[in-house]
Amino acid sequence: MGIYILKRLLLAVPTLVAASIIIFLLIHLAPGGPVRVMLGPMQDPALVEKLRHQLGLDLPLHQQYLRWAGKALQGDLGISVTIQRGAPVTELLRQRYGVTLQLAALSMVIALLIAIPTGITSALHQNKIADHLSRLVAMVGVSVPNFFLGIMLILVLGVFLKQPWATGGYVPPEEGLKENLIRMLLPAIALGTAYSAIVMRMLRSSMLDVMSQDYVRTAKAMGIGWGSTVRRDIVKNALIPVITVIGNSVGYLLGGSIVTETIFRMPGVGRLVITGVFRRDYPVIQGIVLSIVIIRIGINLVVDILYSIVDPRIRYGAEGE
Amino acid sequence: MSTTDVAQTPPEVIAPTVEREHRGLLAEVWHNFKKNRLSLTGGVIVITFVVVAILAPLLAPYNPVVQWDAPPGEHHPLAPMSRSEEGKLFLLGSDKFGRDILSRALYGVRTLLQLAAISIAFALVLGILMGAVAGYNRGTWIDELIMRLVDIMLSFPTLVLAIALLGAFGIGKTEIGPIEVSNMLKIAIVIAVTYSPRFARVMRGVVLQEMSEDYVDAAKMAGGSGWQILTREILVNTIPPLIVQASLMTATTVLTSASLSFLGLGLQPPRPSLGIMLNEARDYLFLGAWWYPLVPGVFILLIILGFNLLGDGLRDSLDPRQARRTRV
Repeated sequence: MGIYILKRLLLAVPTLVAASIIIFLLIHLAPGGPVRVMLGPMQDPALVEKLRHQLGLDLPLHQQYLRWAGKALQGDLGISVTIQRGAPVTELLRQRYGVTLQLAALSMVIALLIAIPTGITSALHQNKIADHLSRLVAMVGVSVPNFFLGIMLILVLGVFLKQPWATGGYVPPEEGLKENLIRMLLPAIALGTAYSAIVMRMLRSSMLDVMSQDYVRTAKAMGIGWGSTVRRDIVKNALIPVITVIGNSVGYLLGGSIVTETIFRMPGVGRLVITGVFRRDYPVIQGIVLSIVIIRIGINLVVDILYSIVDPRIRYGAEGE
Repeated sequence: MSTTDVAQTPPEVIAPTVEREHRGLLAEVWHNFKKNRLSLTGGVIVITFVVVAILAPLLAPYNPVVQWDAPPGEHHPLAPMSRSEEGKLFLLGSDKFGRDILSRALYGVRTLLQLAAISIAFALVLGILMGAVAGYNRGTWIDELIMRLVDIMLSFPTLVLAIALLGAFGIGKTEIGPIEVSNMLKIAIVIAVTYSPRFARVMRGVVLQEMSEDYVDAAKMAGGSGWQILTREILVNTIPPLIVQASLMTATTVLTSASLSFLGLGLQPPRPSLGIMLNEARDYLFLGAWWYPLVPGVFILLIILGFNLLGDGLRDSLDPRQARRTRV
């Protein structure tokens, strides 16, 4: 087990390093160089030189990267150049990540609460009305863009039904947990719907897969009741592949929060990155993208390890390599 | 029973030829496909929108960028079925500048599908190239290098990578190296780069599978070069799975391009774009302008739904055995 975890960890490191190189190089894609772009029309040569030096752009490329990555390892992601001139990017992220992570977590909870019972019901009643209906809803759910769903939720609940909590905006949990959660509800639904549909479809097909396996047939033939342990076993086994989907979804939820935070005017990381793009704040963009990739790789690592605990075949397979 | 009896038995008795209809691959796919009503619906939706995109200039009642005046005492956006001061009928309402929403939405479908088509085409070319080269050189450092790169790119969430790249290049038309690139082409390239790793994975898998088939060995023995075998023999057989992937991927590409437009990072006004329309509509929700987000939103939803249904149906038709077991 220890060897397996170590192997996974060692595999994650090069991916992370390579991803960080790509993120580092982003700043050099800017047409005419990042400094010219960030300073806009005022091109005072002294200022250009100062900013170039501050960003380390006067060093050779590999030294620039090592300096940037070394600082990032110590939690220093540089300084915001346009959004909050002089503020450390790490500080900006610290203020905003709470909102984004809460939104992502709540979306996931809502999505799973819908997806797991529907997926199971759908598979157990394959080709009955309940199954057809939930599959149809899931298909529409996968296809509806979260920004359209979010806007329609605001329109129907906030505008037509005049619900004050359904109009967007954000209340920090310190100012009232209830208000915080209730305002977070619609964004979480908007973000979680597509994800819920994906999990439901995945769970359904994985259930059907397990149900067609020999041991289930044998149990059925032996007359072991459908509602008993067999059923529990099916669900347990069917949930294994779903764990992977949950791992992959973190990237989806963090990406989707960019759009959702914009619609519901929430002060999260997603909105910050958009502001960063509009105002050409390269250190902020780099910091956010890097942090998202780190979270994603980290969660995938945890999921892989969890997976190997639930399904030891994977572990032995990898160790046997 | 003596052996002579067997020898005298007419062949059709030994191997009774059930009159089995032999269909070609396309006919087989079509046969399976048309049985699935949902995928047929998807196909119809997709074809309808493609026709709308092509005929948008003929179908749109007005020029999508012309601004009409509101009648005295009234303000844009005007509700569906109302008229401008000039007496022009807004079938699905007007937008904040007094432009016809229906016309803008029809042209919006055109730009969205254009963008999606260019992006998918680029992504396919890039992905097929990477996947085919990696698969054909399986186990070598070339394979390792390409697939590592694919892994690294997949460690970025697609929308985040697209936003990061657009953020680096900047909004609007840009210079990539010495070449000036139009905004639409730039967005298409960015989307293609973010999606190509997925095609590369599918392609590599299919190539590996095909490589183990006898016909590849036969071609090798016949003295075909690597490139010849890859392009003449293997590539043809990889087309079906790639079509399925392309259809499903078009759905996500449409979503990504519309999301980018919605965020203000994609196509720029006054160009009609469904994403931008939805973004503008946000400011008018509290005036009760329901038609403003509804029209572009439903269009985007239907396009994505169409491609998803079509892709699902195609996948089932190409692999019916798998589909029967786990049709979703």
